Amino acid sequence: MSTPMDPQGGRTGGAPTPGAQSTGGQTPTNEPIGGQSSFDAAGSVRDRLRSPGPQSSGGDTRGSAINEGDFEQSDSRADLHEGGRDERQLSASRTPEAAEIQEPRTEDIDPAAAKAAERLVSALFVMSFLGVVGFIVTYIFAPFQYGVEDGNQAYTPLLGIFMMMALGGVGAGAVVWAKRLMPDEEAVQERHPFGSDPDERSATGQALKEGLGQTQLPRRSLLRNTVLLGAGSLALLPVPLLFSFGPFQHKERVLRETSWRQGVRLIRQNGTPVNRDDMQLGGIESVFPDVPRGTKAADSAVLLIRMRPEELRSEQAEGWSVDGYIAYSAICTHLGCPVKLYEQQTHHLLCPCHQSTFAADRGCEVLFGPAARPLPQLAISVDDEGYFVAQGDFDQPVGPSYWERNPTSSYGRDV
Amino acid sequence: MRTSSGRLSRLIPYVVVLLGLTLVGGLYTAFLAPQSSATEAPDAGAQSMAVKAGRDLYLQGCSTCHGLNLEGGAGGPALQGVGASAVVFQVESGRMPLANAGPQADRKKPQYSVAEVDQLAAYIQANGGGPQLPSLDNAELTDGDLQEGGELFRTNCSSCHNFAGAGGALTYGKYAPRLEPASARVIYSAMQHGPEQMPRFSDGQLSEEEKKAVTYYVRYITRAAQPGGSDLGKFGPVPEGLVIWLVGIGALVIATLWIGNRA
Repeated sequence: MSTPMDPQGGRTGGAPTPGAQSTGGQTPTNEPIGGQSSFDAAGSVRDRLRSPGPQSSGGDTRGSAINEGDFEQSDSRADLHEGGRDERQLSASRTPEAAEIQEPRTEDIDPAAAKAAERLVSALFVMSFLGVVGFIVTYIFAPFQYGVEDGNQAYTPLLGIFMMMALGGVGAGAVVWAKRLMPDEEAVQERHPFGSDPDERSATGQALKEGLGQTQLPRRSLLRNTVLLGAGSLALLPVPLLFSFGPFQHKERVLRETSWRQGVRLIRQNGTPVNRDDMQLGGIESVFPDVPRGTKAADSAVLLIRMRPEELRSEQAEGWSVDGYIAYSAICTHLGCPVKLYEQQTHHLLCPCHQSTFAADRGCEVLFGPAARPLPQLAISVDDEGYFVAQGDFDQPVGPSYWERNPTSSYGRDV
Repeated sequence: MRTSSGRLSRLIPYVVVLLGLTLVGGLYTAFLAPQSSATEAPDAGAQSMAVKAGRDLYLQGCSTCHGLNLEGGAGGPALQGVGASAVVFQVESGRMPLANAGPQADRKKPQYSVAEVDQLAAYIQANGGGPQLPSLDNAELTDGDLQEGGELFRTNCSSCHNFAGAGGALTYGKYAPRLEPASARVIYSAMQHGPEQMPRFSDGQLSEEEKKAVTYYVRYITRAAQPGGSDLGKFGPVPEGLVIWLVGIGALVIATLWIGNRA
């Protein structure tokens, strides 16, 4: 239809007998040779859409020529039958489209073009076949080890290219096939009305009423009341489940406590404890509690910072730091991202997710960003061997806010 | 028996020679050892030459801000005690001399050759001391424990410098730089002395071997081939999603419109 053609020429050449219409319209590709058969098929469908009566002379009036008899004759197309019911009312508004439908494609009138289209489709299918072969050969025989210098860098791209050929060939072939060779027709099928018809509705209402009478519920009040009791109480079943969301059953301990305890050493990720002589000024260390699976405890990650003692202007409680060594929970109080971006001169601690900025030298007060409160400070001291240990758990829950979090209370840690 | 004793007798001259050599060597070591310092004298001479050359370079290029005697001034901090390590980082990466004041010094084209950097470093080291780089040639670092280096990098470095060393933003206009242009010496010295806002990783935290492993890892990942095509700056899901949505979905929309127009 994208090719401007003389519509009359296409139509007159291809008017087949009514008997050939149905077979040609349904199975155009079963015809032995593509060129002429596709032309016949497309022509036959268009002819069925056209009126068998007086031949219209102009393209503009062709759509309005569709009438009831036309669709009743084409008994082989059930979908056109259904569409035909509303086609009558729509014919006036459909006129331009109907004219467009019947404009033939190059392939419809030119056997050579149809042959070329067939060759293109076949080429695409062959490409798909080659892609499948290439994929299988590559997958089985090509060396798959990836290596910068000595390995096969082309393995994955080759698989992708062959898979694209295999899938894309079939897809593109089908599209070209449908657009250039299969019959070119357009049909409008209206939806049926959604509501049931009045008779059906009143019948259903009647049946419901009769059914209620047959249950005898209106007459037998004992039955009615016990049914309400038994079935109605089912509604209460989910109510206790709601308590799981509330404060009654909640194990807030899980949110409130971490793995830190009094005397637990601060260890690095590789398990070594941190000595007070290990770090220089301006150093940081990601530390975890020295308990089983402590380095995996997501709520217990802590950042240990060393700064000059005189630079440490304030901390969250007196005596929680050691000579400029200060430890904060590394979990952002906004949404729980790891806060480990430490600037050793400004003492800013930055959360990379939403740019919450904390002042590590001032008890981690919030300088910027959406964090609601400072990062909890972990009270530390040094044991006899010079290794850092915790004085106890955090005095408040770490990480983001949650429903039952009480901002005013300190959770039972004796300082 | 005869044959074995004959063999033994043939070995005797070698044993005597070996003993004699050992004796001479031991005596030489014991009594003539002070002479070995004399053999180092050319080295020390070269060192003092480097210090002198470094002093000239310093007075010409650095003293305006850092003071004639490394005491610092209005424009720059004192340099006593920063050590050769800091000089290598700042000058070899082109950060010093500073072009203009800002939140932090930017990497630029280096103004001094590697030899001149070494001379400057020798001068700074000779006046105040400080952390020194281990012998570490940029070209030499071709092997190391990638796995250990990777673990240490992800634990200690990736929060600021990104998992692939692509860098990232810090507060108030500061940033953690991209690691791809950094030489091995620059990477090592950054860990060692903690330039600008970067925390310092002492030998007690990361041993020399561990720092070298991290350095090799960084050099490796920033130069590794990209099997998946363009890395989009290695910034992760944000640019990747942007490309998928703008380019990928955009192309699909255009293709859909084109198909629709043709239909």
